[in-house]
Amino acid sequence: MSDTEAIRGGFAGDPAQALSVAGTAGCCGNAPQATMQLPEPAGTSTCCGTAAEAAAEGSCCSSAAKADAVATGQGCCS
Amino acid sequence: MLQQRGQGRRGCDGSGLLLVTGDLDRVLAGVDGARMAATVATLAGAPFEGRRAGGTAARDWLADRLNDLGATVTDDRFPVRSVPEVYADPAAIWNGRPLVFGREAAVHPASADLPSPRAGELTVAGQGDPRGRWLAVPPGMGLFDAYGHAHDAAGLLVGRAVDAYGWHYTMLAGPDPGPLPVLMLDPTTHSAVLDGSGWFSAAAPVRRTDVTAANLHATWHPSAPVLLTAHYDGVGDLPGLRQPAAADNGSGVAVVLEAARLLAGHVPVEVALLDAEELGALGSAHHAARLQQAGPTPLVINIDGAGHLDAAAAVEAGGPAHGLLAALDQAGRHTGLPLVAGPVASDNRRYAAAGLAAVGIGAGMRGYHSPADTADRVETATLAAVCRLVVATVWLAADYPAKLSSLIGD
Repeated sequence: MSDTEAIRGGFAGDPAQALSVAGTAGCCGNAPQATMQLPEPAGTSTCCGTAAEAAAEGSCCSSAAKADAVATGQGCCS
Repeated sequence: MLQQRGQGRRGCDGSGLLLVTGDLDRVLAGVDGARMAATVATLAGAPFEGRRAGGTAARDWLADRLNDLGATVTDDRFPVRSVPEVYADPAAIWNGRPLVFGREAAVHPASADLPSPRAGELTVAGQGDPRGRWLAVPPGMGLFDAYGHAHDAAGLLVGRAVDAYGWHYTMLAGPDPGPLPVLMLDPTTHSAVLDGSGWFSAAAPVRRTDVTAANLHATWHPSAPVLLTAHYDGVGDLPGLRQPAAADNGSGVAVVLEAARLLAGHVPVEVALLDAEELGALGSAHHAARLQQAGPTPLVINIDGAGHLDAAAAVEAGGPAHGLLAALDQAGRHTGLPLVAGPVASDNRRYAAAGLAAVGIGAGMRGYHSPADTADRVETATLAAVCRLVVATVWLAADYPAKLSSLIGD
């Protein structure tokens, strides 16, 4: 392997994109977010779910988490 | 002081990073996937009981492994309050049919403790008299709103998606307990109970205890520019259900141990194996605060999941991490591991929030936080690929910290 050869590894685009990834607002599984900014109580019942469920009204921990879940297509707990 | 670096081949990757690959390639050739797989299997074993935060068995074993690597090992303890623990099967029965614990029914993290089963008629929250009845909470109704319809109710039944293997997802970090027992039902069962007829019986056995958690710190040099981290706690077993926490995060711990084994004699690096991540990344919060007070600003590389690689490993960065990302990118290219910007919701965020350059690397798999997270599903090839990436990144980052921080003006 050449130390200067661009092979298939590494970032396909700008590595700095890792500084602003979608999915950081948090829901289930986002332990840091859950502690640093606890979700509003109204959202605690259906915290987890699929992306489709996340898209439904009130189905995620917070509006930011819902937006992230929809944007990432992963649901709240994927 | 760097040791045994040799000459190697030198080149420039275009970003200004000077590469010395001869010795690095020799180090990379030493990555031992079988050793990491064995570490994962041990950490996922029954004696460690899912590695609940504050447990000492895994901690002691890991301290021994770090000592084996010649490190100076210390632990840093901190209190964690109100850690939830489901202490019995809720024994849920719907219209005479027992529901399978962990698949069809599970205790909600916001549930009040109900030690013994309580039976009552079923109804739908917001419809009819709730007193003495179990209330099925319809989709779209939040738990807080359901409480408003639940005066003197037996408890609440909420629907919650299960993972690809049919298991409920165990979550420890979350809201404080509410006033009522709350069970989670899988979507099929929940849809059926929304009929609102028949009866339901269940307990909600969940207690909350204060524990003393501990981070493990391993050092080989007085001050190292790179900090490798991984959390070693899991969500803990449930009664009758092992939750091995193999990928999340036995795999990350295995990668860090193996990287440390290979790097410790060549590159100044330190290791923190963190507790209580599953409770809200409390171990890294504790450590990040200590670093803020003490002043060191290492580059942080956190591994959360190295069990399965799809197209690429996910990378999330925070803080002044442009230079670290450049090193990671170069390491990915050198080792052939594709990288993609993606959420890694783990301890890396705590370090980034403290102002440190931090990246989280994740190559997890479905079925974490459940009985599906078993060691046999952690891929040795993925462990090796992530470890090679980490070793190469540390090699570059430790060698050129000044250059890394000056590349783009961090």
